[in-house]
Amino acid sequence: MKKSLKFTAAAAMIGLMAFAAAGCGDKKAAVSNEVVKFGVTNFADNLDPADNFFSWVVMRYGLGECLVKFDEKMNAVPWLADKWSISDDKLTWTFHINDKVCFSNGDKLTAEIAKESIERTFKLNTRAQSIFQYAEIKADGQNLIIKTKKPTPTLPGMLADPLFIMIDTKVTNRDIKKEGPICTGPYAVKSYSKAKAVMVANEKYWNGKVPFKTAEIPTIDDPNTRAMALQKGEIDFAINIASGDLQLFKDKAKYNISEIASLRTVLAQINMNEGKPLHDPKVRAALIQCLDRETYNKVLLKDTFIPGKAPVPPSLDYGFDQLKDPNAYNPENAKKLLAEAGWKDTNGDGYVDKNGKNLEIDFVFYSGRAELPLYAEATQADAKKIGIKVNMKNVDYNVLDPMRRNGEFDLIISNILTANTGDPEVYLNWYWKSNINGSQPQNSTGYSNPQYDALSDKLSVEFDPAKRREYMIQMQQILLDDGAALFFGYPKTNMVSKAGLANANIFPADYYWLTKDVCPKQ
Amino acid sequence: METIINGFKTNRAFAVTSVLVLCLLLIAIAAPVIAPYDPTHAAMKDAFLEPGAQHLFGTDKLGRDCFSRVLYGARASLTGVLVLVASVFVVGTTMGVVSGYFGGKVDMVIMRISDMMISFPGMILAIAIAGIMGGSLVNAVFALTIVSWTKYARLARSMVLKVKRRDFVEAAIVNGGTPGHILWVHILPNILPMMVITAAADIGALMMELAGLSFLGFGSQPPAPEWGLMLNEGRQQLQTAPWLMFFPGLAIFVTVVVFNLWGDNLRDVLDPRGDVED
Repeated sequence: MKKSLKFTAAAAMIGLMAFAAAGCGDKKAAVSNEVVKFGVTNFADNLDPADNFFSWVVMRYGLGECLVKFDEKMNAVPWLADKWSISDDKLTWTFHINDKVCFSNGDKLTAEIAKESIERTFKLNTRAQSIFQYAEIKADGQNLIIKTKKPTPTLPGMLADPLFIMIDTKVTNRDIKKEGPICTGPYAVKSYSKAKAVMVANEKYWNGKVPFKTAEIPTIDDPNTRAMALQKGEIDFAINIASGDLQLFKDKAKYNISEIASLRTVLAQINMNEGKPLHDPKVRAALIQCLDRETYNKVLLKDTFIPGKAPVPPSLDYGFDQLKDPNAYNPENAKKLLAEAGWKDTNGDGYVDKNGKNLEIDFVFYSGRAELPLYAEATQADAKKIGIKVNMKNVDYNVLDPMRRNGEFDLIISNILTANTGDPEVYLNWYWKSNINGSQPQNSTGYSNPQYDALSDKLSVEFDPAKRREYMIQMQQILLDDGAALFFGYPKTNMVSKAGLANANIFPADYYWLTKDVCPKQ
Repeated sequence: METIINGFKTNRAFAVTSVLVLCLLLIAIAAPVIAPYDPTHAAMKDAFLEPGAQHLFGTDKLGRDCFSRVLYGARASLTGVLVLVASVFVVGTTMGVVSGYFGGKVDMVIMRISDMMISFPGMILAIAIAGIMGGSLVNAVFALTIVSWTKYARLARSMVLKVKRRDFVEAAIVNGGTPGHILWVHILPNILPMMVITAAADIGALMMELAGLSFLGFGSQPPAPEWGLMLNEGRQQLQTAPWLMFFPGLAIFVTVVVFNLWGDNLRDVLDPRGDVED
């Protein structure tokens, strides 16, 4: 009897020690000259740029390029198009395509192919027309001429959205979903699956020599696993290391952390349709006021996020400091608001109720980004203090977007890029402009404010940057006053690489991950 | 029952492990009294504190006291596993006894169903069931019951087959005993010791499976304190706040060891020769 106890104890000790030792792995700072390994999160089922948001992955993996791209300051700069101009009536844009550009199969990129590429996207994806609408596209040699339906001030930025990646439409016998399209980027697809992609250098790349022969891109959605893979040297660089793990890479001799205040907002949309518990503005206000967002970001997320307040993050200049949040942290007032709305805890179970039913809401989230479950649980904990019951629903990222569009939630959280076309106009429309007959498919919350829509319409044709800024500040204030959504915080995004890798830098627009500049350090 | 009380007095090891089991149960029952803090109260400003005077086991990512959570976790985990073992025991034994006693088509049907269940990898099937029904402790117990009853059914059936042939059973049948009476009075008491021993020895293994399901997200849901779930939550801070995984892991370890030892000793007490009477 005693023997087996001793043996068990000894075995446990050995087990624990082995467990502790497993954490220390090889730390190889050297990077191969031929193969680069990149650990990523990946939501793309296939590589068709017109499908869903998968175009982002096509661009991130170095495969696809657009006519325009964003630099580190979010200015729209030439890429496949080397210059552009607008006509006097502000409706007709002419983009000149760089003569040197060719696809990975040698075909030259002409305006005709560019036209067909854009038309294909508009045909296959309804999101394209929520970005801009054209009356006519014409091709004249290397000149692509786009006539928009109404004046579209930020068209170049819009064409930088990966949705408008240029693909070789002359190639018809290729299964784009499985093998990926033929594009102009530094890397071409050797094999692709959602779990791992293998890219090879594009021998015919138009813009310089491609640094690596092969790029292996395993999908490691779990943030901690990704950090451990980088620690062990299984990958050479990784995207978005979680706040809790960043301190593991602080040694500058071994690792390089590229971190910036991103253009992203972590927000939860609120389902305020008729019949839903959050339809009542007082309940919405109470919910927002009971959340101690300052502590979530400074303590729980170890100050790697900026506390949320307005829709547009402070990294962009759209009046963040002057906007007033009527729903700042105030749990006492939150309780009062609930009482005023008729919710009281009549049965002593800790949750407020009305007509025999508890105030219960479903919080839909996914775990691919480390901060989302944390915000969800923190919301659950704080909401309980004022008597609101929050049920957490952890779903796969793939079902999150359909759930959002179908309104299957009370709260649904996402980490959203606010300036995907260079300025926040499209973002402000997508989530809060009235969704009439599917015009804004991402807004199924039932939020509709005619004043907001009117400002949005004025914004869409305004070319003066100062006036645009003013409109967007007013629109944000309306959203804050209406309690239109829960703004949790603004992340810093990062890219962490071994010291032997150069130019693995994160951009504000997170379309550019594996670029032609990522190379072994000389 | 008398054997057990007798065993208590003569077998020292059994007495000791029984006392340990009782301690565990007492801790679980008395958790609301012993625990210094409310296990779901999130004092977020105190997140990630190391174990110290204020918080014996430290605090977790939302500032909840780990010591209180481990204590309350005992309630969820122990209740869950005891209910699980009880339900597996009842379902498995009933199926096995019915199958063994009545034979024929009933036997064939039940045994083929049990074959089907065995051919699935248990954990995977449990995950699938819990995934379809949604994650909760109740659903996890249900899923694991569906997957684990076969062992008891087979054991009960083989024992019933042996006992059925004994003289006193035939005498009872000749005397006009109904099947129900014979099962309850003659057959069950003879197979019960073996079944109880198997169940007790299984508590440890089933505790691990339940914790495993919770770890994967199919058992208890946040913010409920439950050891498997706490292991999962602590995993993300393994390198920066290791106490979050260490203490729930230690709790599971201690519980499983105690129940395993108790099961072994129970076997020694109830069936010292190590085989069934023949």
